[in-house]
Amino acid sequence: MSDWLGRAVSRAEQVSDWLSPQRQASLALLREAQWPTRKTEAWKYTPVHVLADAEFAAAANSELAAAEAIEGLNSIELVFTDGVLQSELSQLPEGLTIVPLADASSETRQWAAEAFSAAKPSKHLFGLVNDVLATAGVIIDVAEGVSIEPVIRIVHRIGKDCEAHNRVLVRIAKNASVTVVEDFSGEEKSFNTGYAEYTLAESASLEHYRFALQTGAALSVGGSHFNLADKAQLNSTLVGFGSELSRLDVDVNHTGEHAFAKLNAIYLLDGNELFDLHSTIEHMVPNGTTEENVRGIVADHSRAVFNGRIHIHRDAQKTLAELNNRNLLMSRDAEINTKPELEIYADDVRCAHGATIAEIDKGALYYLRSRGVSKAQAQIMLSFGFINELVDQMPNQVLAEWLRPQLRQRFANMEVK
Amino acid sequence: MLSIKNLQASVEEKEILKGLDLEVKPGEVHAIMGPNGAGKSTMGYVMSGREGYEVNEGSVTLDGVDLLGLEAEERARAGLFLAFQYPVEIPGVSNLEFMKAAVDAQREAKGEEAVSSKDFLKMAREACKQVHLPAEFLKRGVNEGFSGGEKKRNEIMQMLLLKPKLCILDESDSGLDIDALQVVAEGVNSQRSPDRSFIVVTHYQRLLDYIKPDFVHVLSDGKIVKSGDASLALELEEQGYNWLTEQREQSA
Ligand SMILES: Nc1ncnc2c1ncn2[C@@H]1O[C@H](COP(=O)(O)OP(=O)(O)OP(=O)(O)O)[C@@H](O)[C@H]1O
Ligand SMILES: [Mg+2]
Repeated sequence: MSDWLGRAVSRAEQVSDWLSPQRQASLALLREAQWPTRKTEAWKYTPVHVLADAEFAAAANSELAAAEAIEGLNSIELVFTDGVLQSELSQLPEGLTIVPLADASSETRQWAAEAFSAAKPSKHLFGLVNDVLATAGVIIDVAEGVSIEPVIRIVHRIGKDCEAHNRVLVRIAKNASVTVVEDFSGEEKSFNTGYAEYTLAESASLEHYRFALQTGAALSVGGSHFNLADKAQLNSTLVGFGSELSRLDVDVNHTGEHAFAKLNAIYLLDGNELFDLHSTIEHMVPNGTTEENVRGIVADHSRAVFNGRIHIHRDAQKTLAELNNRNLLMSRDAEINTKPELEIYADDVRCAHGATIAEIDKGALYYLRSRGVSKAQAQIMLSFGFINELVDQMPNQVLAEWLRPQLRQRFANMEVK
Repeated sequence: MLSIKNLQASVEEKEILKGLDLEVKPGEVHAIMGPNGAGKSTMGYVMSGREGYEVNEGSVTLDGVDLLGLEAEERARAGLFLAFQYPVEIPGVSNLEFMKAAVDAQREAKGEEAVSSKDFLKMAREACKQVHLPAEFLKRGVNEGFSGGEKKRNEIMQMLLLKPKLCILDESDSGLDIDALQVVAEGVNSQRSPDRSFIVVTHYQRLLDYIKPDFVHVLSDGKIVKSGDASLALELEEQGYNWLTEQREQSA
């Protein structure tokens, strides 16, 4: 066991709360776990040594400005600074329960303990770290048949030299619907793990966003994981910037038939940034549908890793699954490691699956220039357009409007080489 | 206005334009007809600076400015406009954003200030109206999912906004229904002025009923083989191009 893991384990041994039985199981796995190296398949292109060498304070000690609200967004804001929940949870709409992880009632504890690590597979090393160390977080429960109008926005802000582990557990009951935003940002040297697990009951519907917008020395490893029961609907948009270490794991488990998952992901990298997205779609039962579109732009010396796995189990007949990963390279020094993995054990399925690395379309570039737009601006417009196609698909237009200028800002700073 | 002299150009080592000459004076409308593959579109691409089109000989000047020495965007800013035979689809970039960038870039080149978003929207809506495109088309991706006829009208809409000196319309009439043909022709006619010239590439006399040309040229095998007035188009409509190519073979 590495020093880093050793320290995590001994810290975890001090943690004692109502989740202890669940944490114990993960702790046992963690004790056996190997620190990732180049030879570790899941971490092949993403070195974690920056983490091993760094030291962080476990307690909140930084002074962060208040998180900014999103203009025009009807939202319930849950703001964590340095892992501590700052928001008061009063005045929630009927049918919605939100409680801090530490304050769960015995009734909540019952289902939440079961949901803990149910959607998130144990293969994620830092997921296990989060299992044993995350004492901060929230539990969100949406009652049967209820549609929650305001967006639940969970904001994670981690200040300089801080370390934070956060866990979100969401249960959406039959025929209920809700929108959840997981919003991460920051650029100071820090480390966080943020894992969220969503359990969608029959015909439940979730609109989900994860904005992994950490940059610079903000080290971040996390995941969003979904269990979909019969006819559940998931529409998820992930947006990633890169940092010295930024890794996101997404798992969608079709546990019920006729569930539908739409997954759009965007990454936009500059400088020496690294962003690593691993997604696994498990079709365990028949008649599920997955549409996954992943688009990235990598500039300068940045590096993107995408691993998209679709696993269609033997019984999962009539599955429809599409995965498409398209990348735009803005510089010769940028790098993309993309690997779609298709594993099919059922015979009556429709699957499509592809990854491309492209350059800016010459015909489109000429067309823009023929109207007087400069080459440099045309390149920016086209690459922004490539990403913007997915932003256009975001169901929440207020969030799209909020995101666009941030993406544009990144483009404005990017150099085309 | 425009002077093309002995233009010779090739694509991928293949010679397409083989000594093209054309003089266009301010305010004139020149129609160019000719068989498929003759090099009509190539002429437009070469003039507008498309990559991959190699000029081997000759010159193209617009109001004395050597176009061939300029980048594609500089040619546009010098007043050249090409309405494409096959307009390009660009999903993710809205028509409005595209045209705003183009108009601003051209204004900047002239030392003028950018238009405010509000004023531009008004201008763009007006231009759409003129070619009977619903204003929603401004929000859509450039030509994305537009029908053939809508694409052609969108080209003319762009021309209306950019107000170029010299417009090359490459088969702007193909794929248009009868009403749309009239709309496009009216759009063009509304822009006719003593200091604006047009080169209208077409296969059909029909368009020339609406846009009356001062001259008609036949481009065949990379050069102009015959020039005349509007009546030449009628002649071609009846007789096709064979008699012209036969004539040339005999004289050769
Ligand atoms: N990239 C290319 N490689 C090889 N040949 C090309 C290329 N582009 C054009 N050509 C050839 O150049 C010739 C002229 O093409 P062009 O498109 O200019 O013809 P056109 O007169 O516009 O025909 P049409 O009336 O069908 O539009 C054609 O034979 C065409 O096949
Ligand atoms: Mg042509």
